[in-house]
Amino acid sequence: MSHEGTLLFLIAVLPFVGALLPGLMIRAGRTVCAVSTAVPTLLALIMLLVLAPAVLRGEVVQANIDWLPQLGLSASFFLDGLGLLFAAMILGVGLLITLYARFYLSGDDPMGQFYTYLLLFQGAMLGIVISDNILLLLIFWELTSLSSFLLIGYWKHLPEGRQGARMALAVTGSGGLAMIAGMLILGSVVGSYNLTDILQAGDAIRASEWYLPALILILLGAFTKSAQFPFHFWLPHAMAAPTPVSAYLHSATMVKAGVFLMARMWPALAGTDAWFYIVATTGLITMVIGALIALFKDDLKALLAFSTVSHLGLLTMLLGFGTEAAAVAAVFHIINHLTFKAALFMTAGIVDHETHTRDIKRLGGLRHLMPVTFLIGTVAALSMAGIPLFNGFLSKEMMLEEASHTDWFGSPYAVPILATIGALLSVAYSFRFVSHVFLGPKREDYPNAPHDPPFGMWAAPAILAFLVIVIGVAPFLAEGIVTAAANAITGADLHPHLKIWHGVTPALWMSIVAVLGGAVLLTLHRPLDRAWISAPRPEAKPMFDGLVAALVAASRWITDISHNGAISRYLAIFTITSVLLGFAAYSGSGLAMPTRGLLGVPPVIAVGWIMLIVATVSIVVMHHYRFRALTLLGIIGLSISAGFAYLSAPDLALTQISVETVTIMLLLLALHFLPKVTPKESAIGLRIRDGIIALAAGGGVGSLAYAFMMRDIETISDYHIDNSYEGGGGTNVVNVILVDFRGYDTYGEIIVLGIAGLVIYALMHALLDGPAAKRLKNTDYSQDRSRDRHPLMMVVVTRVLMPIALVVGLYIFLRGHNQPGGGFVAGLVVAIALLMQYMASGFAWTQERKKIEYHTMIGLGVLVAGLTGIGAWLLGQPFLTSAYTYVHLPPIEEFELATAMLFDLGVFLTVLGAVMLMLYSLSRIARFAGETVNVTPMDYDPGGYVTDEEAER
Amino acid sequence: MSWVLSLPLIIPFATAVFAFLLRNSPLGRWTSLVGSSVGLVASIALMSTVLHHQVITGQMGNWPAPFGITLVADLLSAVMVLITAITGIAVAIYALGDIDETRERLGYHALFQVLIAGVTGAFLTGDLFNLYVWFEVMLIASFGLLVLGGSREQIDGGVKYVTLNLISTIMFLTGIGLIYGLTGTLNLADLSGKLDAVENQGLVTVIAMLFMVAFGVKAAVFPLFFWLPASYHTPSFAVSAVFAGLLTKVGVYALIRTFTLLFDGDVGLTHTILLWVAGFTMVTGVLGAAVQNDFRKILSFHIVSQIGYMIMGLALLTPLALLGAVFYLLHHIIVKANLFLIAGVAKQLTGSTELAKIGGLYRSSPLLAALFLIPAFSLAGFPPLSGFWAKYILVKASLDEELWFLAFVALAVGLMTIFSMTKIWAEVFWKAHPDGRQPALSGLVGRTSLIVPIAGLALMTMVVGLMPEPFVTFAEQSAAQLLDPTPYITTVLGPQP
Repeated sequence: MSHEGTLLFLIAVLPFVGALLPGLMIRAGRTVCAVSTAVPTLLALIMLLVLAPAVLRGEVVQANIDWLPQLGLSASFFLDGLGLLFAAMILGVGLLITLYARFYLSGDDPMGQFYTYLLLFQGAMLGIVISDNILLLLIFWELTSLSSFLLIGYWKHLPEGRQGARMALAVTGSGGLAMIAGMLILGSVVGSYNLTDILQAGDAIRASEWYLPALILILLGAFTKSAQFPFHFWLPHAMAAPTPVSAYLHSATMVKAGVFLMARMWPALAGTDAWFYIVATTGLITMVIGALIALFKDDLKALLAFSTVSHLGLLTMLLGFGTEAAAVAAVFHIINHLTFKAALFMTAGIVDHETHTRDIKRLGGLRHLMPVTFLIGTVAALSMAGIPLFNGFLSKEMMLEEASHTDWFGSPYAVPILATIGALLSVAYSFRFVSHVFLGPKREDYPNAPHDPPFGMWAAPAILAFLVIVIGVAPFLAEGIVTAAANAITGADLHPHLKIWHGVTPALWMSIVAVLGGAVLLTLHRPLDRAWISAPRPEAKPMFDGLVAALVAASRWITDISHNGAISRYLAIFTITSVLLGFAAYSGSGLAMPTRGLLGVPPVIAVGWIMLIVATVSIVVMHHYRFRALTLLGIIGLSISAGFAYLSAPDLALTQISVETVTIMLLLLALHFLPKVTPKESAIGLRIRDGIIALAAGGGVGSLAYAFMMRDIETISDYHIDNSYEGGGGTNVVNVILVDFRGYDTYGEIIVLGIAGLVIYALMHALLDGPAAKRLKNTDYSQDRSRDRHPLMMVVVTRVLMPIALVVGLYIFLRGHNQPGGGFVAGLVVAIALLMQYMASGFAWTQERKKIEYHTMIGLGVLVAGLTGIGAWLLGQPFLTSAYTYVHLPPIEEFELATAMLFDLGVFLTVLGAVMLMLYSLSRIARFAGETVNVTPMDYDPGGYVTDEEAER
Repeated sequence: MSWVLSLPLIIPFATAVFAFLLRNSPLGRWTSLVGSSVGLVASIALMSTVLHHQVITGQMGNWPAPFGITLVADLLSAVMVLITAITGIAVAIYALGDIDETRERLGYHALFQVLIAGVTGAFLTGDLFNLYVWFEVMLIASFGLLVLGGSREQIDGGVKYVTLNLISTIMFLTGIGLIYGLTGTLNLADLSGKLDAVENQGLVTVIAMLFMVAFGVKAAVFPLFFWLPASYHTPSFAVSAVFAGLLTKVGVYALIRTFTLLFDGDVGLTHTILLWVAGFTMVTGVLGAAVQNDFRKILSFHIVSQIGYMIMGLALLTPLALLGAVFYLLHHIIVKANLFLIAGVAKQLTGSTELAKIGGLYRSSPLLAALFLIPAFSLAGFPPLSGFWAKYILVKASLDEELWFLAFVALAVGLMTIFSMTKIWAEVFWKAHPDGRQPALSGLVGRTSLIVPIAGLALMTMVVGLMPEPFVTFAEQSAAQLLDPTPYITTVLGPQP
């Protein structure tokens, strides 16, 4: 990169780096804070001035760093005449605003934040005007929206500030999004996102079929940013910001970004009818409407805001004309508008600051009290009105000149007449600004006694007012920069001459009409104002609010329909979606011929099958009666177990039976604490609807199952069967799959089980804290409780069964690797044995005899299984690799030891722990509900029979 | 290679066990934190190995594919594991200041670590049934976290959550059964080839639909997302942050994985449906958010809306679009988890999450305000934050395909997101607290543990935003792997004929 390039890069970066300073420096005082803001700005400005001579000679300074080359983004900057003009404005006015704000902000306002935002904004704005990549430009563009959002809402205690900030962001943000799309299209038409390339490809762009969409999308971005009709409404609401912000963003810089963009894209996009009619017409309308509204605004800043809208319209119109002379006029007016409008905003800020009001109707006669302010304000306002010897006059003349020979849809009069009306209104509100605020008699009822502010506060507007006069008297001083900028816009080699006197031209007559008409209009202001106030007119704010409200209402409607909180509706939507998608996918394709025959149906199986169906249907009918439903559930489970057994899956059958048993037992225990009947919740119509949905879904799944089960396939299970003994050391392939082939799955599943135990425990905890607790406390369960809760017979039987069950469990566990069984089933069997002890003798009694805590048991189980898996690593094998060996221990016959069994032990422990934890949770509920705690094994103690003698002793 | 693959999974499991055994002691939370840190190291090791080898694979139990269970890590899996670990450690730190002792005694840290393990497992598996197992692990752990220490609201949300997710898991299981019935295998790489060979492609598409629905529920896409806004605003903030960041993304990951590797036969139908799903998800989510007036509920609906963008990338199925989807996935996890963490701090400071009842944070906690702006505007797609690139890539991808309306929807939804985020900003930060409270962070440990993860995640958002190049390049390579799964398949199964 050249030295110039490096300098340019530094200019781009400085404000962002500098943004860190004020936030830190505020601790050192307000002046230091302001100075620390001014320093980076001043540095950047000096660097810019170093580059300026070369640019004014027509050279272009470039800097380029790759950022995201895949997507066409690079951090490339270039500085040509247009960029130089804007950069100088941004930095120059930035300095003045920094000075002004130092005195404007009160001690309560967090000044550090203000200056930080200001520098961020400055950096973003600067980035826009020197970007050489449209994506980079977009990034800076959005950054200005963001930083201006923070600035507009700076006075966060004001609701209108917060709303204004959000509105500004919504409008300019949406424009920015449109622009993203537009820029993307432009980039793909040209094949590059480099601005320099794009500007040279103007002909190709205009010839492209995507020209119009790209143009409209990009213009949407420009129009929203530059507050063009009908997007102008956000600007006045952004006036809730502190005045330095208004002066900086909403007169000098940000709102000009849209104008800048149109100027920048001029070589690529301008020169077509579409450009002329869209841009010039929008500008013209905005100019007239803005000026008209401005005339009737009583708030000083609102008046200036609408006048800004109007002047932005003027600039847009000029660029829309698409002629070189119009471009020159636009550039010149950009400079002039900057000087007088920023000065006016600062004047308005001073008036507000001193009198504590911005309402024109409460002001007047200030010239006696604030002579300096009066002088500055008047100079700037006269320039705005376009009075000779002030700079506004010159560019307005050029504008009228261009307007006077512009044809609009074949009419030579439309544009000149409307332009004159715009100028006339502009004169009227400018005069009003002077006469209603400063002239007239001195009043006694200002909210605060005004006087001129300290020098620091009026210095900045004074400098601008000085410029207004200098350029107005000696316009040739601006010729260099105007030429450079205009050449950069048009790509032509122009040599405009800026003069005070152009001779007697149509523009002069239009000007005279405007000034005289404006003066007349002002004298009629009072009756006109009354008419304006009483006349119905569309107000943008309520319309925008209404739009937002309508959008929210529509959203609420949509959300409420789909999201009413009823789980049945969610399930219905889910099921319908699945069925529809399934049908959509299947429709059209046929089903291949079945390659398997149907198995025969022996009578026993048919009976079982019918039982299953009857039980299932009954459960649907009777699900309101919990106990019956539970019984039916048992039938279904057992039928399924039988089905597994019939289909040669003894492992599954065994597992299913034990799971079924444990589940039903636990559910029975839980049932006790539930209301006996659930309320019927849905109406008959809904139930029919749900029935149809359910049948469709069931039918779908059924037919799918049929389609798949009738076909032969090759599966990986053949490998499992072949390798079960040799590789896994077990002849029960199901168990070897569980603990070895797919031990990893099992590992996951035991964790699920363990966590389930935990979750139930946690849920119980929550329940006993919640509203259900009240019901439990208040229900009397003693009525339906047996007199003999722990009957002798049951206690005896379960005690006898206990060791047997334990041995069976051990047996099932040990044989698992070769015969149906394994850790899972063994865990359940032992759990059942323990469950029975609890049922027989009550929880407390059994609990006392428990040695290991259930939580720990779960943890241990997972740990053992995990360690088994990790053990394989020590031998350099993958996780869960198993090993086995045969051990001969006399007098037992030779048996096999496999690491898989250790894994299975983990499974066993986890299952046992989880089930017991669930039981424990239930018993907590029971005790909470007032069940008495027994410490003896049974209510009637046979050993407790005591003779009288013993009793006496 | 196997231990590199299994460690990111074993570590959280081991941590879970120890944290569980120590649940009644203050050591439990530190165990969790240490475990998360070690897990992060392990996932970094995995990432660097994968960067070197592109795809790595390991066979559990040393049984060869497709007979044993395969673990595979390609670029997408590895980076998802890494980001899971990052989210995990952020939330583990945050939990020090957010989770009370009651929840700890009920096993919060164990549940949390199991959740992380489940998510990691889902990203790493190369086996369809194993994926189901991890879904179950996630489901039960997340349900536990959801109802832990529960209020009535939590239980209500938890029931909806678990019901709908269980149904979707059943759907998933049905799909697995059917696909096994069709091909006789469960290994993803194996399935990829065998599904193409099935003569009746109609049945394959039907199964594809079942998976689309099952994963669609998990990913919370239109019209299956109801469980999410019904439950995500109820649990503790650390929990909802990890949910918001990771859970739905597992669904998105599963969709991306299966609909690039397995179901690419009838793209005309499946991916067109996904395209519509994407559009509706974006719109309904953001509209739902516009209605809400609660910090966390707004964020919850935005999860849905953002999922739409990722699905959009998958549905377009171009290299650029998939790149966008991957990038979006990564960006969104960080941003969304962070927003929920911030909401938690806001709740601690102001006493509520209802916008009308809170405020004043800008004045009293400017640091928090600044930290909110970063993820909030990143979510909305403001440059130069990560979300801008994510949205930009997807919009460009849809414009390249000349899908104007979709591009418009994507941009408009971005605008609506700005609307929501500025609503939160104006109400929670700018506006004064209605009680006149001056909420300020207090307590050294609480302050650090809450702010450090937020600041860290915000920093990552900034880094991705300012230096997107390496991340985009990575996403590009990852997308290329997804579009051409040959290396994936050959690594798992060996050279194919």
